[in-house]
Amino acid sequence: MAARYDRAITVFSPDGHLFQVEYAQEAVKKGSTVVGIRGNDIVVLGVERKSVAKLQEDRTIRKINSLDEHVCMAFAGLTADARIVINRARVECQSHRLTVEDPVTVEYITRYIARLKQRYTQSNGRRPFGIAALIVGFDDDGTPRLYQTEPSGTYHAWKANAIGHSAKAVREFLEKNYTDEAIAVDKEAIKLAIKALLEVVQSGGKNIELAVIKRNEPLRILEAKEIETFVAEIEKEREEEIEKKKPKKSG
Amino acid sequence: MATFFGEVVTASSRALDEDEDYDDDDDGAYEEDEHIHKELQEKREVQLNWGPGVSAGGCGTVPCSNVIIAVGHNATNFLSAYVLNSTAWEEAGNTSVWKEGKTAVFHRYRDNTSVLICQVTNYVPEDQLFQWTEKVLGCLHKAGLSVTVLSDCPVSDYKTSDMAYSSSSAPFLRCLRTSTSRSLALCRPLEPPNIITGLPAAVLSQCQIHHIPAVVYQCYTDVITPDSITMETYKPLLSSLSKVVKLNPSPSAEILCKYVKSSEIQSNLYI
Repeated sequence: MAARYDRAITVFSPDGHLFQVEYAQEAVKKGSTVVGIRGNDIVVLGVERKSVAKLQEDRTIRKINSLDEHVCMAFAGLTADARIVINRARVECQSHRLTVEDPVTVEYITRYIARLKQRYTQSNGRRPFGIAALIVGFDDDGTPRLYQTEPSGTYHAWKANAIGHSAKAVREFLEKNYTDEAIAVDKEAIKLAIKALLEVVQSGGKNIELAVIKRNEPLRILEAKEIETFVAEIEKEREEEIEKKKPKKSG
Repeated sequence: MATFFGEVVTASSRALDEDEDYDDDDDGAYEEDEHIHKELQEKREVQLNWGPGVSAGGCGTVPCSNVIIAVGHNATNFLSAYVLNSTAWEEAGNTSVWKEGKTAVFHRYRDNTSVLICQVTNYVPEDQLFQWTEKVLGCLHKAGLSVTVLSDCPVSDYKTSDMAYSSSSAPFLRCLRTSTSRSLALCRPLEPPNIITGLPAAVLSQCQIHHIPAVVYQCYTDVITPDSITMETYKPLLSSLSKVVKLNPSPSAEILCKYVKSSEIQSNLYI
């Protein structure tokens, strides 16, 4: 078993495992669900909002954070690790603007974050970052992007993905329901993100937070009322589907 | 014998019975220790209290054909949401342990008073597990008795050569039964070198000794708080339970939320 090979990050096990990295991926599963959808003219990030303590300011618990005007990121996993990664990424975004006089591409900043994470899987005395992130935004040429990074330091581009608790169930839903028609219109892409979250979120729209970036527009976090409207529309569509499937009574 | 400095000391000898050399003064301290030990023992007695409707005159007198014991948050909440969520059940008794308070609550089915459910809501110390099990099972009439235990366990305790299996498949059920158990297997048996520990192990051992058919269903989960998906893992048991009691097969989302929310830990470590 893992016994002697899972304490120090720099040790491979005889069968090639880096146990600390794999355990970091378990830490990601303890965070609440995040879903990302790449539409034609919009990118959507939806998160399951954890209930806060009664006296806690819920504005200070943010899973969706902007890295620059045109890029934002949502994470799942250890809160403190996420804060460090976000701060470093924000500094890098501004440093890039000052140096190169251009905003970062989504791929550049994703690669920066992934490189940072990988360094922490190969250093003495450090543990990996216990977060996975979905990074969305638009490049200068107007192309929408969605990337995912992991504690191992890998990153990949996705059309739609989910991380955190119950990510597998949400990913399966997206595989069945992500079609070109489903994301053709901005509104439908938003509804797809909400439907995906409703698969796993208990107690409906109240616990969902949604952020969108449209081409040439900054990040916008949807208000609770807007989300409730979408949820009501989705429920109405579902009821209509059920009615259609009922066998018609013969006259 | 003489030591290095020339003083003479008596060498101890195993040939002598040392008890004969005890001073009379020591007897007082020994009695006080005994008194303290006796007091502690009395305090650490597991208290088993039956309700007024239960006729528990002495050993093995409580009529019982089926007893279902739930250990762990998800197991107890599963029974609360799927089985006990109706007026067909009444509270029949409880057990309590020194410094831990009420550890378990018994519920009895009104339409068939030989069906008992025991929800272990609190920690039972290791040194009192045997006593708890002996007292509880000792009260029940053993002829025709069958025992089912539901237990939660972290998936990190599940030993398997396939690393990916445990984390990707959690939550999942495994069972372990006594040699006299003939009930249909509702899940895969627990593979070695995995073991059952704690209260479920104590109950299973006691049932094996007394030839009582018993089975433990252990749910391996990666969530430490009560969770509706983990609770649903126990659903296959409803098929065998429905033969003895009337069940509510699908509790509403509100009822499930109540049991999930009631034990939510407010922690900002992971979001």
